[in-house]
Amino acid sequence: MRSSTSSSRRHWGLAWAIALAVAALALGWVERRWRERGYQPNVLDSAQLWSLQRQRVHGDSPRPLVLLGASRIQAAIDPPLLRELLPDRRPIMLAVSGRYPLAALRDLAADEDFHGDVICDIESNGFLREYRDLQQDYVDYFHRQWTPSWHLHRALLTEWQQAALIADPRFGIIETLRHALQGGKPYHDYVRLRPDRATEIDYALTDPEGAKRHFAATVEGNIAHLPRRTPDEWLADIAPVFVWARAIQARGGRVIFYESPLHGLQREVQERVYPRDAYWHRFAATSPAPVLSARDVPALMAFDLPDDSHLDRRDKAAFTHAFVQALHERGLLTSAPP
Amino acid sequence: MQFDSLTFLVFFATVLVGTNVLRAWDARKNFLLAASYAFYMGWNPPFVLLLIASTTFDWWIARRIAATPAGGTRKAWIAATLVANLLVLGYFKYSDFILANLAALLGKVGVAYRPPELGIVLPIGISFYTFHSLSYCLDVYRGRFAPTTNWRDYALYVAFFPQLVAGPIVRWTQMREQIETPRGTTAAGLGLGLTLLTLGLFEKTVLADGVFAPVADAAFDHAGEVGVVTAWSGTVAFTGQIFCDFAGYSTCALGTAVAFGFVLPVNFRNPYAALGFSDFWRRWHVSLSSWLRDYLYVALGGNRGGAWRTYRNLMLTMLIGGLWHGAAWTFVAWGGLHGLYLAGERFIRERFWREREADATLRALYGLVTLLAVMFAWIWFRARSFADGAAIARALVPHGSSVTTMPDFAQGLALACFTALVLTHALGRDLEPKAWFARLPAPLLGLLLAAMLVLIALSPGDTHAFIYFQF
Repeated sequence: MRSSTSSSRRHWGLAWAIALAVAALALGWVERRWRERGYQPNVLDSAQLWSLQRQRVHGDSPRPLVLLGASRIQAAIDPPLLRELLPDRRPIMLAVSGRYPLAALRDLAADEDFHGDVICDIESNGFLREYRDLQQDYVDYFHRQWTPSWHLHRALLTEWQQAALIADPRFGIIETLRHALQGGKPYHDYVRLRPDRATEIDYALTDPEGAKRHFAATVEGNIAHLPRRTPDEWLADIAPVFVWARAIQARGGRVIFYESPLHGLQREVQERVYPRDAYWHRFAATSPAPVLSARDVPALMAFDLPDDSHLDRRDKAAFTHAFVQALHERGLLTSAPP
Repeated sequence: MQFDSLTFLVFFATVLVGTNVLRAWDARKNFLLAASYAFYMGWNPPFVLLLIASTTFDWWIARRIAATPAGGTRKAWIAATLVANLLVLGYFKYSDFILANLAALLGKVGVAYRPPELGIVLPIGISFYTFHSLSYCLDVYRGRFAPTTNWRDYALYVAFFPQLVAGPIVRWTQMREQIETPRGTTAAGLGLGLTLLTLGLFEKTVLADGVFAPVADAAFDHAGEVGVVTAWSGTVAFTGQIFCDFAGYSTCALGTAVAFGFVLPVNFRNPYAALGFSDFWRRWHVSLSSWLRDYLYVALGGNRGGAWRTYRNLMLTMLIGGLWHGAAWTFVAWGGLHGLYLAGERFIRERFWREREADATLRALYGLVTLLAVMFAWIWFRARSFADGAAIARALVPHGSSVTTMPDFAQGLALACFTALVLTHALGRDLEPKAWFARLPAPLLGLLLAAMLVLIALSPGDTHAFIYFQF
């Protein structure tokens, strides 16, 4: 019996020792091969990563400052620096790349336990009712599926994604096989997502002129597909947004509607489709919450936007300083200026 | 929490160490029960109260049944547990379905009724633990065993975390001795358990989620627009996905249990190598099919009342089995198809098959027909509506230029993996993975495990819920 037990122990022990050693060597080799080609690990965004931030909006010490919007505010604002500049605030990044933020604003308005402040980065187009639910699947995930169990999973997964490039599906076995059979290689990521969901865009790794050319080539087609609203219809779409802002303010919070800077053709298109006097100014005049447009802040407009829309990571700290300065100058945040 | 989540790795290691650090068997069982409830709370914490209430009710009522002599009162007790369990299951799982059908029915006679939006959240695993409890009470009622007086032991039987949310549906007779006899982790148990866990995770993350799901989703999410290649590859992919997903879960469950010293019944025995439909159901979701046979088919009279009653009982059993899977007529259609398959097979076997059974060519053909018919039935299981199912089914038949399209990379990979899966089933038709792993030379086993671990690590992506969690 003893010999059978020890033989069984040897059998499984040897098998697992070989398995772990071979697997570690193989995975290490794969990781090294990709890194030698200049690839780096990156955190991948998901409804779970968003939920990790969403659950931080409660409490009052320090006071939550929720950043809503899309990729522009993710790239422009540095949450740790914001925390330094506003020590009595707790920045929370809930912006989602490529999606207007009104579903998240509606969710915060409905959350009776949320008593914090919100900076909602949005452009005129983002107020259309057709775009109101773009972040709703993140909100639904948080309310329906998010549990402490998934919290731990996502926290560990973030660590793994930061440490290992092979945690990215682009370097997984199926994509590798696809490239081997069909040619091609994974693209080099120039947008890095941090665990706090802010991004860092390194335009030295890409061709921003190419992005501009692509925008120029597709813009007229995109405009043709935009839902059309007269200024009055557009303002009617905004009415529920004001209700949400008021709900947050009624609980002692503050909502600031903010418009990120745009340059070049991006800005021209914005002006053409939504003439400022007819749209943004009327919104600002009727909003129950303060409104800040980068177009009115020369210090913010002075920053270079390599693709006319997003900030390079090297300018992020300076922009965050300028942004906080602009808020203070207008009395939009009550803490002492830096 | 899911077996393929990183949380489970932490949970598994913690509970494994915690269980083995405790010396007393009672303390270990208490710890395992608490861990099982914590595992369940990984989804929707409040529903653990429903699980505890259901467990306590059935444990108590089983004792009342045993204490009551045969007769009306005893029947009333078993009726009470049946009604209570099925009402709870019905409320959570079928309320919306019943109301929607009622509204449609009233609409047909001109009565406008708009059902309320109940927004009921389905407690995960409720179909599985309800069947656990029902089998226990029914067996006590039939006098097969005396009920346990120990609530904790019964609760651990129902809630033991490896099988709690998606089976196997274990009988008390399979677990009683294991729960009452002290046991713990051994080197062989841990080695085999981790091996099965790795195999299950390989099936789930690499094959089901990585290879098959994208191809199946691409077909079924656009059912109205698919051509013959997409329809076939989608059907093949879902046939692979549903097996690798569910068998993957069951293999993880078996492995996890073995690591703790428990043996759960095998739930899948190479079903895609089945020769005939009764053989398929002896190999697919064995714990459910045997449950339906013992507590439904037999209770309906089985094959005791002549040919037509047997056919009727087969159909009813499979229709109810289909409905058990989900509150939709497509599931009922899936069950109905299998009922027809089983009835048809019974008819043919009795008349034409016996003298031809030894013919190898006919057997191979029979296996192929079985597989194709099973695949056809999966279309209705996966389709979101009859219209979608019909669109996929129609697209399977080549017409015009639709056959000239070649499978793309993902479809080709799914077809290759499915072929490999079916061959594996055929070659290992009567092999038990546990025995096979134990016999494999350690270096070979080590390399096989390494290959699976590497492929699992290189298959990152969204964590998909196991398909059977929704049931």
